[in-house]
Amino acid sequence: MADKAVQRETVLSLRETIARIENRRLPGVVRAAKAADPGGFRQREEDESGRKALALGVPDLDALLEGGLPLEGMTEIRNAETRDAGAAAGFAAALGVLCQQARLEKGETAAPVLWISQSMASNEAGMPYGLGLKAYGLDVRGLVFSLPRTVKDALWIAEAALSVPSFCAVILEIRGNPAALALSESRRLHVRSRAGHVPLLLLRQSGHEEASSAFFRLLVEPAPARERPLPDGSMLRGSIGHPVFHVIAEKSRAPAPLGFFLEWNPHDRRFYPVEPLPAAAAADPEPAHSVARLSASSGRSGRPQALGELVAFPRAS
Amino acid sequence: MRLVALDGYAEKRGFHIGQGVAEARAMCPEIDVLPADPAADRALLEGLADWCCRYTPLVALDGDSGLFLDITGCAHLLGGEKALLDDLLARLFHLGVEARAAISSSAGLSWAVARFGSEGIIAPDEATRVLAPLPMAALRLPRETIETLGRVGLKQVGDILEAPRAPLARRFGAILLLRLDQALGREDEPLSPRLPVAALSVERRLGEPVQGEDDILGLTEELALRLKPELEKRGQGGRLFELLLFRVDGAVFRIAAGTSSPLNEPRRVAGLFRERLQAVHEDLDAGFGFEILRLSVPKSEKYEVMQEDFSGTPDRERPLAAFADRVMARFGAESLLVPALSESHVPERAATFRPLTDLALIGKTEEPGENIPAPLLAAAARPQRLFPSPEPVEAVAEVPEGPPRSFRWRRTLHRIARAEGPERIAGEWWLDGEPAMERDYFRVEDERGRRFWLFREGHYGAATPPRWFMHGVFA
Repeated sequence: MADKAVQRETVLSLRETIARIENRRLPGVVRAAKAADPGGFRQREEDESGRKALALGVPDLDALLEGGLPLEGMTEIRNAETRDAGAAAGFAAALGVLCQQARLEKGETAAPVLWISQSMASNEAGMPYGLGLKAYGLDVRGLVFSLPRTVKDALWIAEAALSVPSFCAVILEIRGNPAALALSESRRLHVRSRAGHVPLLLLRQSGHEEASSAFFRLLVEPAPARERPLPDGSMLRGSIGHPVFHVIAEKSRAPAPLGFFLEWNPHDRRFYPVEPLPAAAAADPEPAHSVARLSASSGRSGRPQALGELVAFPRAS
Repeated sequence: MRLVALDGYAEKRGFHIGQGVAEARAMCPEIDVLPADPAADRALLEGLADWCCRYTPLVALDGDSGLFLDITGCAHLLGGEKALLDDLLARLFHLGVEARAAISSSAGLSWAVARFGSEGIIAPDEATRVLAPLPMAALRLPRETIETLGRVGLKQVGDILEAPRAPLARRFGAILLLRLDQALGREDEPLSPRLPVAALSVERRLGEPVQGEDDILGLTEELALRLKPELEKRGQGGRLFELLLFRVDGAVFRIAAGTSSPLNEPRRVAGLFRERLQAVHEDLDAGFGFEILRLSVPKSEKYEVMQEDFSGTPDRERPLAAFADRVMARFGAESLLVPALSESHVPERAATFRPLTDLALIGKTEEPGENIPAPLLAAAARPQRLFPSPEPVEAVAEVPEGPPRSFRWRRTLHRIARAEGPERIAGEWWLDGEPAMERDYFRVEDERGRRFWLFREGHYGAATPPRWFMHGVFA
């Protein structure tokens, strides 16, 4: 009998460990066993079932992310092209705002957001702009920005930041898929983030899909904004309202990539789900007369390039 | 070409400074003439001044061939004045430097004796006796004064020691008596040390030189441990720490590490230098090892002693300070930035970044731009990312003042679906001083939903066509 109880304990603890590694909710059996007390007293129910997540306020997305943005661990946000970097950075900044707010609501002192941007990323896509971020809802007094020269330096700073409990979120912005940030490095950051209880947002600018240790990888694309509402309820024609993102969960537990259209409301500091504009849907598919997306070359030789030339496309796994 | 410096042998052969090289060659054909390199001489002298920091922190350069060391209160640490002087000369001899030195109660007397005298240490009451037989040049007088004095037969200092002062001053200028008084210690002569003296410093002299980084860090922590009681006694914490490493062959390395908040914790001080040593790894050549390590605190501030409580909420400031110190020690003070808002209309001036200097200010600062009312901020749309320098684009726009219809940025064509604007921002003539071009800003959205911030500089129909720029991207 005692053997059986010990075996059961072992199995339950193993299941708990697995659930923690996989970042899933604790199985019901484990929860029941943990709640039961041999003395017969009811223990306080654990509010988190083993994982901490920040609800984004969009039910579908929260369900897909199993509760929301993981507050311990790495989440990757990427965009395909440099010109979309504004949308991805905006989405990451919005998550930063939500993290800041969550800290404040819990009654803790305001913790700063650390934004580490490898200098090439900021040179290509622009520096974070204080006034714009303030209007976006971020408390810029609680923003610390770092502009390391190389990816290695950026990783070092991120790792140092994840081991102190001072930041409410760390945004690490990297351009492309550098070799210095491969699977093992991302695993290292992920483990640091879980141990330090600080969420890490890896913002991959104009990068490809690449295997990483992140829980989720979200592809963020820009989407046409709504129009500005007027006081009488109608919309101001031709105006550009709050930013809208098309967020596609590339890596998640869902069987296929799912897309969501989210609108960020800087005033309410929360996301709202929106329906895609018909214009956006129409602009998306192939045009009637398909032309190359890139402009015709000018001022260069018209000859085809030599075969076997190396291009800077890194391994996409 | 003239001779500017001579070695001992050349002096014996009768050459003198200022002599023409051709003349010197004629006197002695086998002399070896090297071109003068004042910069290298200066570097050597400064290196020696650094090296002399082992005796006293107050080291001043004297022209281009001498050093003043203020050893007040330092001699007993090295076993007395005689021991100090012997040690100094012996070490310099082994470094290959021919040096002469003297210790006396005034800088002028030491200067005179080191150059013209023979005694090493002069007691305070012997100044007159020692100075009397020295030539006039020992008084650091201008050449004309020495020549004038020589013409009237006053060749030694002793000749004027007892002479009435008023006629001397009238005839030869005030400088003669000033220098005489300075040499005799009647007039105070302040030395200006090369480097500011640290409020606190501790050092460790090693019997066996160390080379390894871990040894250096271990010793640094030990030094910081000795520093802590002194800092605590003063109620201060260091904002800047400096580690001096004296290599056995005379080179001296100074490594400074700043902190973001007052600090007296030995472990963290050693941690700072761990990062600094990583950063200066290439420049720090241990060679045959370091024999003296000195840790000093050039800058300190009031240290707030905080009482730990039992509430269990972790203190946020301290780990943040530790993080900031580590990063800034490794990558420099500019590596962590905080936004700085200012009241300006020009976008690149309105929000900039400044280095994170004081952690206590995070989350508490009242920026000048803070009091911009929120509605105004919302109405004036500002991008989330701004290009430090606007990038030129080719745009097709409505003439004369309309928004752009399409533009080509980084060789890609964007068709504009919607546009808001213009928002006209004029240059700040009170800062720029010249009539800066006014800009008309448009917030545009292209067909795919990308939102950009474009501006036009100039007007259609003017002498020069207007130019369009991309200045930022919206979320």
